[in-house]
Amino acid sequence: MGYFRALWILTQRDLRVRYSTSKLGYLWSVLEPLAMSAIYWFVFTQVFERTVGETPYIVFLLTALLPWMWFNGAISDASRAFWKESRLVRSIRLPRTVWVNQLVLAKGIEFLLALPVLALFAILGGAQLHIGVVLFPLAIVLQAVCMVGVGLIVAPLVVFYRDLERATKLVLRFLFFATPVIYGTSDLPHGLELWSAINPLAGAISLYRASFFPAQLDWAVVGISSASAAVMLLLGLYVFRRSERALLKAV
Amino acid sequence: MGAQNQTPTKPVIEANNLGIRFRRGNSGFRTFKDLFGSKERRTMAGEFWALRNVSFTVHPGEAIGVVGRNGQGKSTLLRLVAGVLLPDEGSVDVNVGVAPLIELTGGFVRDLTVRENIWLAASLLGLRKSEIAERFDEIVSFAELGDFLSTPYKHLSSGMQVRLAFSVMSRLDEPVLLVDEVLAVGDKAFRQKCYARIDQMLASGKTLFFVSHNESDLRRFCTRGLYLRGGKLVLDDTIDAVLKQYNADQGK
Repeated sequence: MGYFRALWILTQRDLRVRYSTSKLGYLWSVLEPLAMSAIYWFVFTQVFERTVGETPYIVFLLTALLPWMWFNGAISDASRAFWKESRLVRSIRLPRTVWVNQLVLAKGIEFLLALPVLALFAILGGAQLHIGVVLFPLAIVLQAVCMVGVGLIVAPLVVFYRDLERATKLVLRFLFFATPVIYGTSDLPHGLELWSAINPLAGAISLYRASFFPAQLDWAVVGISSASAAVMLLLGLYVFRRSERALLKAV
Repeated sequence: MGAQNQTPTKPVIEANNLGIRFRRGNSGFRTFKDLFGSKERRTMAGEFWALRNVSFTVHPGEAIGVVGRNGQGKSTLLRLVAGVLLPDEGSVDVNVGVAPLIELTGGFVRDLTVRENIWLAASLLGLRKSEIAERFDEIVSFAELGDFLSTPYKHLSSGMQVRLAFSVMSRLDEPVLLVDEVLAVGDKAFRQKCYARIDQMLASGKTLFFVSHNESDLRRFCTRGLYLRGGKLVLDDTIDAVLKQYNADQGK
């Protein structure tokens, strides 16, 4: 079977399960980032005097929170992928990397479906759409490349070392604050900006935010992030290839 | 997937010095080195060869029964042929598509309906939309689940689940059938239907690779036998000769 056909069948399956088993269905992909945004908006504009980010802050938050949810969701799922799908992996021959890519794609579609919320708040908050919006697809590609790479490393290793599943959760929580979500790259102490760009999400978010906040676009950050994402993808392919044999035995 | 054009004499399955090893004991504990260094030939401590030096050739239309006690590598061999395990040594070349009746219900999703599951499983197994539409009624009536199309799969009894799975799998076009003990389940009436279906598929020229402990099933379907003992292929002969040797070994 063709790779993309398998990928699409499994993606459709996941979306169908997700939307047929919950009454709120689509609303969840919107409610989650909304709730998070509301919390951070409250804490950072009503409790604390906000010194980071830009106005309207809720739009600033959402431009990064939606991509973060995509990343967080797909990588958490990847850490369980081979346990969850073990019976299929054991009985039907499909291209093995599909089990990771399918998660990136399914969560990616949910991400796209949640974008109208961003548009709505941009209109309500009076955010000015900027020419940088043309960079949005580039941001998606950059993020997807990084996620496939990370997923291909995490998914097989968790099968051999169960502890990595919990470690992944912890790292994701840490990464949330290490990624410019509630702040912008330029808010970091001087000298740290470029280091933070090793995290490919920093570059992706810089590109996403260019839609409304041109000052957030930093090509140096994007460049480093892109290189780092490419390295992650290559590393992921290498790890996956080398562990595939053992993986199939252990599943 | 799918049948390629080929002359009838070309083998459909060729196993060459096939070998695979597994770890004994705690499979969760590994060092990175042994995870990535799997190219080495030597057997590491705590590992055993589930199969080794297994070679055979299968021609189109043959019906082969794999015989052996529990834990002698029968299912492992089947999964290597199905391509859901990769060999550590040697190779197995499968030149046509296979229909893997291995973990029958593996592709089914509990939360989806029977209808959705038929579409899902059939497309994962390589059928196109038009082919599924064509065979849909046949699948449903064979599984006797016409009244349950909108029922979530998880609400079916386990017997019904297997019926559904067999029904989908047995409508595939793949020229090679891999069957792993699945006929042991289901009630008698359905089992008869399955037998008739397999007979029909064999008559249409399909190749059968069959793992079973049931002697009468083996004799019924198979003409040739492979006898596995201790991970080695000890006999490759007619099914009668293989069963005779197997029974003689058991009698010891």
